[in-house]
Amino acid sequence: MLAELINPYYLQVGCFILINIILGISVYITLSTGQLSLANAGFMGIGAYTSALLTIHFDLPIIIGIIIGALVAALCGVLIGIPTLRLQGVYLAIVTLGFGEVIRVIFVNWETLTNGSVGISGIPHIGREILKTLQGFGFQPMSIGLQNNQFIFLSIFILLLLITIFVIWFFRRQHQSRVGRAFAAIKLDEKAAESMGINITYYKVLAFAQGALVAGFAGAMYAHILAYISPADFAYHRAVEILIFVVFGGSEVIWGPIFGAFFLTLMPEVLRFISEYRYMIYGLIIIIMMAVRPQGLIDVPLLKALSKKGRKRGQKHGTGNHKSM
Amino acid sequence: MVLEITKVCKNFGGLSALTDVTFSINEGEIFGLIGPNGAGKTTMFNLITSMFTPTSGQITFKDEDITTMKSHHITEKGICRTFQNIRLFPEMSALENVMVGQHSRTRSGVLKSVFRTVSQKKEEAKIKDIAEELLDFVGLSTFSDLTSDNLAYGQQRRLEIARALASEPKVLLLDEPAAGMNETETSDLFDLIKKIQQKGITVLIIEHDMPLVMKLCDRIAVLNFGKKIAEGTPLEIQNHPEVIEAYLGKEEEDQYA
Repeated sequence: MLAELINPYYLQVGCFILINIILGISVYITLSTGQLSLANAGFMGIGAYTSALLTIHFDLPIIIGIIIGALVAALCGVLIGIPTLRLQGVYLAIVTLGFGEVIRVIFVNWETLTNGSVGISGIPHIGREILKTLQGFGFQPMSIGLQNNQFIFLSIFILLLLITIFVIWFFRRQHQSRVGRAFAAIKLDEKAAESMGINITYYKVLAFAQGALVAGFAGAMYAHILAYISPADFAYHRAVEILIFVVFGGSEVIWGPIFGAFFLTLMPEVLRFISEYRYMIYGLIIIIMMAVRPQGLIDVPLLKALSKKGRKRGQKHGTGNHKSM
Repeated sequence: MVLEITKVCKNFGGLSALTDVTFSINEGEIFGLIGPNGAGKTTMFNLITSMFTPTSGQITFKDEDITTMKSHHITEKGICRTFQNIRLFPEMSALENVMVGQHSRTRSGVLKSVFRTVSQKKEEAKIKDIAEELLDFVGLSTFSDLTSDNLAYGQQRRLEIARALASEPKVLLLDEPAAGMNETETSDLFDLIKKIQQKGITVLIIEHDMPLVMKLCDRIAVLNFGKKIAEGTPLEIQNHPEVIEAYLGKEEEDQYA
């Protein structure tokens, strides 16, 4: 029975949704200090290539590859974060967009290492590795009524789900703390934040590095799930796609990019016939959102209104708390 | 001598905003900095808090040279300011605004914040207590949940003072705190600044409201066109011929006009 429910195709779509959610969060983190970075597709590529090359050429375990990939991306984040500290708004966006292109061109032209625009294939597959390891302990997917294929995708999905939940948990907690307040203060008024004793250099570079780390991590996961990467995966249209998650969903609260990534990844799958017009629709979404709701669908007032509604409903059943009103 | 300004000059391109300004502030006093518009008062504040670096001259705080120190280090040393054009964090609640002020007095980094260690929880509780206390101190405790852009103008000015106090300063710089306030608000502000002085905090204030300045300050320095033209007690300043000239013009000119 379980076997019929678990369709590898659905699971694969689920995996892409989760990876896109992580990517959306990576833009949100950098943006929470007011810095718009379009380099996250580039960081994703750095994570993917680093991890893929390390696991292929040096036979490193996938987990080590992913960690190093994410760290290398974070390091690049620091390297680009420091010289761009003085840039704001659209200037920063352009520089980071340029950086992403530089990364892609390096992937294309450094053929001895990256195999050029052909890309790298035969990257160790994370699901198969999990299965192999478990089989080493004498576990067979058949014993829980699953075929190997189903088990592979299920294990990846569960792994990604746990990681995504951890990432959300991590950055929500960070947001509600001294660090989160410093981020928000810098976003709202940099000069005032500085004269309140906040080291803006440190926090801005920190946000950049965190964004790059998360994007690099997502890239490394991507490489080990698809088992094939090419420079085109991390090109301009990927940068725009990630940006759209945030523009559409909202950038004020972490639920914005999560919703944006979820909705915009699922939509072309559900509505197959519009998938061809995907980029046209993205363009339209940007224009409409900028005109009507520049802060994105989900913002603080909306969340407040929703939670108030929930509370009212609670009160009707006699569990409400009058003081909180 | 808690704060010493020695021969400070600041040029913006060819324009000299401040020329050879020297004055010093004693611990615990309220020191006024006055002068006509464009005299360089706010520039002085920006130099003290290192938002600009002086072209020449030296600023020392408790015998330590802070001339080229970074802004956030200066806050950490114990100098904090408010702004002439209010610069609160608009989308944050009043309480959160004040909590940000505690930043330089607290330590929790990313990992401690995320994993909520015991010391972090204690620190967070302390931050909140101090912030609530300060809101109460400036008379805004009933507005703690309101976002700062929803507060009335006078309340925003008070909130900015509370936020600056949260950094536990030894010297507080107030840039025109009474601007745009009515008489009752101004007299409340007078009481508030006196209360701040009683806490042992030295206050340096820029203000155009002369009755308030004369009533409030222990000593006053007067700037005009980037130069210090007078320094002394309120009484001395009121009768200083150059000050009268700077504010009212010369008598002969009046006759021709």
